[in-house]
Amino acid sequence: MSGYLYQNDLSSMKLAILASTRHDRMVREIASELGIPQIRLRKRMMDRFDMLLLENLPARYEQGMREREQAPRPGRELGAGIYTRAVPLILEDDMDAIAGKVRLMIAEGRPHEEAVEAGRAMIRELITR
Amino acid sequence: MTLLQAVKNFVRSKSIHVCYVDVGSCNGCDIEVLACLSPRYDIEQYGIYVHNNPREADILLVIGAFTPGWEDKLRMIWEKIPDPKAAIAIGNCPISGCLFDRPHTLIDPPAAKHIPIAAQVPGCPPRPTEIISAVLSVAPLVFRDYEVAKR
Amino acid sequence: MKRTVDVSIPLGPVHPCFKEPARIKCETRGEYVIAAEVELGYMKKGIERIMRGRPWQEVMFLAERVCGICSVIHNMVYIEALEAMTSIPVPERAALLRVIVNELDRMQSHILANFSYCYTIEHETLAMYLLDIRERVMDELERITGARVTCAYIVPGGVRFDLRGEDDLHLRAALAIIEEEMTRYLQMFATGPLIALRSRGIGILTKDAAREAGAVGPTARASGMPETDRRLRHPTYQKIGFSPVSRDEGDNYARIMVRFEEVLASIGIIRTCLDLLQPGPIRGGGIPGAGEIAYSGEAPRGELSYFIRTDEAGRVLDISIQTPSIMNIEACCHAMLVGVASLADVSSTFVSADPCIACTER
Repeated sequence: MSGYLYQNDLSSMKLAILASTRHDRMVREIASELGIPQIRLRKRMMDRFDMLLLENLPARYEQGMREREQAPRPGRELGAGIYTRAVPLILEDDMDAIAGKVRLMIAEGRPHEEAVEAGRAMIRELITR
Repeated sequence: MTLLQAVKNFVRSKSIHVCYVDVGSCNGCDIEVLACLSPRYDIEQYGIYVHNNPREADILLVIGAFTPGWEDKLRMIWEKIPDPKAAIAIGNCPISGCLFDRPHTLIDPPAAKHIPIAAQVPGCPPRPTEIISAVLSVAPLVFRDYEVAKR
Repeated sequence: MKRTVDVSIPLGPVHPCFKEPARIKCETRGEYVIAAEVELGYMKKGIERIMRGRPWQEVMFLAERVCGICSVIHNMVYIEALEAMTSIPVPERAALLRVIVNELDRMQSHILANFSYCYTIEHETLAMYLLDIRERVMDELERITGARVTCAYIVPGGVRFDLRGEDDLHLRAALAIIEEEMTRYLQMFATGPLIALRSRGIGILTKDAAREAGAVGPTARASGMPETDRRLRHPTYQKIGFSPVSRDEGDNYARIMVRFEEVLASIGIIRTCLDLLQPGPIRGGGIPGAGEIAYSGEAPRGELSYFIRTDEAGRVLDISIQTPSIMNIEACCHAMLVGVASLADVSSTFVSADPCIACTER
């Protein structure tokens, strides 16, 4: 593990970025959709994203929301595009696996909403793990 | 005054290397320092060279209100500059924080709290001519007979 | 995110080529860049936090100082947002004067961006030519507004000063010189073989990557997205009529050429405005009141958005600024820099996106 010579602790500055109005609104929306505590989501974002991506999150999120309308089901309900590309909270492979499981559940005859809810639970588990 | 000192004085008066560091400005002063490079103001005719490398600089231009990211770094840059050296604060921000020094701000002015400042050029932003004249008037005060004064 | 990498080369925060501090950490294999990560925080002043709860008159000056290079457009978008919120009318002449000043500001910003790029690829001659011609634009800006930078020219319901005496003749004369010189420099840049070696096919931003990161302004227009120009949706610009510049190579060369061509287009817009100017009032007055609005305008670097909420006294309760550099640098660092062949191209690619860290962090 290589460390940097002049590495500072950036978490307070990252938190300052996430405290702006639009970031706050975005974090609330994602947290309420996935059903995870906001503080866990912020922590996950601060750990995984660099500062530039953090600054750009609201613009990417809005762009992702616009593209979500055209996405195929059940990826649309799960927010596959948003959580892997626009706001890359989880890896694309993991999301593909989850979407595959949800598709399988629907094929097995589970009601659509229930299957999507199960998929969300899997995303939630990945993020809060 | 020895002959060596006379030679040093002469050489130093004709080659002033400048490094600028932006510690959180709005960019306005930054660009005015850059405008000094333009053929209209032509700072090289006065023997001033902008290198932006602290290790070969004589004068450090400090621009901007002091942001938390620079907490220890500004001092590190200042220590890298070889003696004799001087720092000039460009614009209102490093002097007082200007209009950013209000409640809920993140900045920590003035820059003089963190490194010794030899001269201040107020203005929001100052004109390029003012910046050049500040550098030219500070340089002889610091560099002339530096070894004699140190002794 | 903590990761183990082979070689990680940090550039900055103090770097001879960058005007402003930013730290780029390039994960490389040899000199080939695999991924780049950017560390900011050197310019974060918390302007939005300062703005909250202050009267609109004070926020006006703070808004201008979000960015010192494109200060006019910050002033313009903020004031036009307040005007749209409380429906304050703007006299015809004032609207045209705003466009003139805004285009002059765009010209100097684009010329400065091209200067930085030429300086970074070590073509110092062209860089100095460009910096010299920029001083002429600054002169005109100063003649009209009274200050080189941060001039606070635009106020609700109009502008501060009219053109005085022979200002328009001076402006036309300067434009003629600038046009002639810029055409010459454009030719120098377009046909220079060494410039092409350093610029063509380097730092390619594809249209898809540009759309995903939400790239705007010249960066997006160089990737074939002319519809991103917000000026097409501004009433005064619609009346003047102009067509946005666009190219579709998406490399460093295209980005710089788009800026060159936009400077020439701006000269045309200013000439049209000067032709259209009729004698009349320049300031109607008006006081902003309560409301909430999201308003966008085209800054030199792209789309600039303000989200403002005020109370009856005109105090700004909540404000959020989305500057174009945020999207552009993000596109630059996570799409353009990936696959750049050498470290010398990292700095030139970064500069070609016209990064403005002061805008990005506020």
